[in-house]
Amino acid sequence: MKSGKKARRKETGREAEVQKHTQPQDSAAAGEPEREKTTSRRRLEKVGEALYNCPYLLALLVTSAAVLFCSDEIGIRTVCADAQAVVRRVSGADAPASVLASDKAAASAAGEEKILVSEKADDQEQPAVPADNIAGDILEETENAGECKAENNDIKEKNDFDNVSYTDKNAENQEKEIIGTTEFVSYEPVETDSPYYSDAGKVALTTTYPYTKENISYFNDAAFLGDSRTLGISDYAGLDEADFYCDSGMTIFKILDPEGATYRKTGRKEDLSRVLQEKRYGKIYIMLGMNELGYGNTAMYLDKYREVVEQIRKWQPDAVIYIMANLHVSKEKNNTETEFNNININDKNAAAASLANGKDIFYLDANPLFTDEDGFLDAELTFDGVHLYAQHYDRWREFLMEHGVENKVAQKGSGNDGRDTAE
Amino acid sequence: MLFSSLGFIFGFLPVFMALYLLVPAKYRNIVLLLGSLVFYGAGEPYFVLLLVFSVLVNYGLSRYMFWEPASPQKDRSGKAVRRRKRALVLSLAVDFGLLFVFKYWDFTAGTINGLAGHEAVPVLMLALPLGISFYTFQMVSYQIDCYRGTIREPAGFVPFAAYVSMFPQLIAGPIVRYEEVADRMRKRRVNVRKLESGLKLFTVGLGLKVLLANQIGTLWNTIMSAGAGNLHAAVAWLGAAAYSFQIYFDFWGYSVMAMGLGKMLGFRIPQNFDSPYASRSISEFWRRWHITLGRWFREYVYFPLGGSRRGRLRTAANLLVVWAFTGLWHGADWNFLLWGLLFFVLLTVEKNSYGRWMERSKVIGHIYTLLLIPVTWVVFAVTDLGQLTAYLGNMFGIYGAGVLVGMQQLVRYLKEYGVLLIVCCLFATPYPAKLYRKFADRWFTVVILLGIFWFSVHEIMVGSNNPFLYFRF
Repeated sequence: MKSGKKARRKETGREAEVQKHTQPQDSAAAGEPEREKTTSRRRLEKVGEALYNCPYLLALLVTSAAVLFCSDEIGIRTVCADAQAVVRRVSGADAPASVLASDKAAASAAGEEKILVSEKADDQEQPAVPADNIAGDILEETENAGECKAENNDIKEKNDFDNVSYTDKNAENQEKEIIGTTEFVSYEPVETDSPYYSDAGKVALTTTYPYTKENISYFNDAAFLGDSRTLGISDYAGLDEADFYCDSGMTIFKILDPEGATYRKTGRKEDLSRVLQEKRYGKIYIMLGMNELGYGNTAMYLDKYREVVEQIRKWQPDAVIYIMANLHVSKEKNNTETEFNNININDKNAAAASLANGKDIFYLDANPLFTDEDGFLDAELTFDGVHLYAQHYDRWREFLMEHGVENKVAQKGSGNDGRDTAE
Repeated sequence: MLFSSLGFIFGFLPVFMALYLLVPAKYRNIVLLLGSLVFYGAGEPYFVLLLVFSVLVNYGLSRYMFWEPASPQKDRSGKAVRRRKRALVLSLAVDFGLLFVFKYWDFTAGTINGLAGHEAVPVLMLALPLGISFYTFQMVSYQIDCYRGTIREPAGFVPFAAYVSMFPQLIAGPIVRYEEVADRMRKRRVNVRKLESGLKLFTVGLGLKVLLANQIGTLWNTIMSAGAGNLHAAVAWLGAAAYSFQIYFDFWGYSVMAMGLGKMLGFRIPQNFDSPYASRSISEFWRRWHITLGRWFREYVYFPLGGSRRGRLRTAANLLVVWAFTGLWHGADWNFLLWGLLFFVLLTVEKNSYGRWMERSKVIGHIYTLLLIPVTWVVFAVTDLGQLTAYLGNMFGIYGAGVLVGMQQLVRYLKEYGVLLIVCCLFATPYPAKLYRKFADRWFTVVILLGIFWFSVHEIMVGSNNPFLYFRF
């Protein structure tokens, strides 16, 4: 209060002074601190007064400097824009996009092998060679490059014959069980120049599996975790019995946070790490990835996704986990100059699909229902290019009902999967 | 470059301001001009050439108008007058011609082709140069003012170019008239006090845009995403209210930011909004909404047509012209024309019957305005005529396929957006502006503004939903 009045009084005094000074000198840079050095004490005082009269400017400058200085400390949690710095840290400074891309392709294709391998091998060096080979093989060998889990298993079995000693447990446990495969269709990737993503060069297809056609009661013991699109399913697909935990803006990074997600039946936030330990679910549907498009990069996304799936598997050993593809965006919304585009979405989807094992983790891609031949979300079905109109969720529900999985995982329990025991 | 982007706030603005303050006063216009071109070029690397071209042509023609100047009052006959007329017609042709080609060509071609049944006129698919509607109007106002003699002596090239391209108002107004900045183009003082209060205003605008418009915009988006035609009447009205708030805070926020930036540069940019939602009639609403546009149409279209002085019928015809053009100015589509014509009807009815009475009333006028305005915004917002009919139907309880978005969602929306809606209502009244004027220099205002600034920055960082609605125009 008092200071404010004082400031105003001084201000008027200073104004007069400025006028006197600027007229002969033709310099209107009255408030520039740079002028200090040319001056006498009186001028110094004037600058002091000027600064005193602009507390907001000063406060902004100081806080900006502080934020600039501390942005490393705050890290990626609060300052998302720092994701770029993270990328640099992860992939080495100034890595060109192509290097990044191949890194990531290898990461998503070979990610699992590495885990399997490290589990088996005593030292890290030995398996590094076969792991890379496998990744290389998958990428070169077939048209559907990078066939995920099932193909890996094949190769592992092959390797068994060759007496390379790093898969036996898996093969034993599988016996004659039907294992779905998640196939990838590869295509010529486009050069991208973004720290957030690169073109995966492949599209993941819905895990092939003898799904059963179910009715609505299939969802009685289902939980859906997701973002605003899942909220749409909750609102308009008519799955009233299922439990929805979703919020606009939800990400894979936040889904298991204590802060939680909104439980749609009560409208209250629930901590999923608690809920998933207390309740028993038969199916858990996850669809997250849109709000991650401009956060971190695909490798980080995959790491976190894997962690979440492993965690859920631990808490819900009997549940079938569905990884649902993120729907593409419309042509209008697709913007390759930002990170908001279908190449990025596909990059995320392909990464998430690599977690499907065709046994108790499945990848479902509803995109073919809603996209045109170029993979854009049909403009007729959406207002904002991102979310479907309410009336189209029925189709999505049908799609989900056509992809029932008989829950037989319980018999074997966990531990038959490399990923499960990897923790 | 958006005002509400990190690149502008932490990149362009500080660098530009430092330069602007450091150079001697006589170079400031040049710095302003070049800086504005950089600002524009960052977003429109090609259309900046179009802007430069327009400026050069208009400047040339305006000089031609003043060539061998005989005072317009005395020399009413002969060459000078004809020359002036020629220059004016030419400049209007160039300005409106470019605007037509870039903004209305495809719409016109589509209409003609539709009527003809085949492609009689080629569709060009040109992108709309940012801000072309605004800077075209500004240049036209300059030419007409020169022609009329309102501007006595022609501006120098740099002041003229700086006036047109000045970055605070280049891409979304306010539509400034030259006489409003002429004095300050010649001589203006820049000092810390102006910097400070300009920065404060800028922050206020930023907050309006990022913390109110963007946030309430997601409600509108959510409701529209569910699909017009699926909505319960209450939800439809909620959506209309949300959009009304969004467009107001979006555009008002932008205008306040422009005023703030103008102040930092030493200019006075006119106010564009004066609590329009507190109006008691639609006529009053348009005296308070987008004031500089209304002024433009009044000065350069309505009055030259005779205004309201030539009888009721002529007045109505004049209003029809003005509002058809006002509608189309906002966008080249049928719904904008419809929107303009809706206002024509409302204003004509008001002028001839209950308008005066409404404006004197205490309560009914407000209710009347607040019920009508959201309906007009829906017409404005929904470009697809089928969807528009469906949405308006929903608002009045006409449901087609059935209600998919009903009470359950309404409750959720209210829970989620209730507080924000209340804040929006408060900021739609004149009181926050009054409070700000009263307490702008207090220390707690600094603290609040600092909070608003950093909260806005945070929201810009995490949110991807940050468009300016008025950039379409």
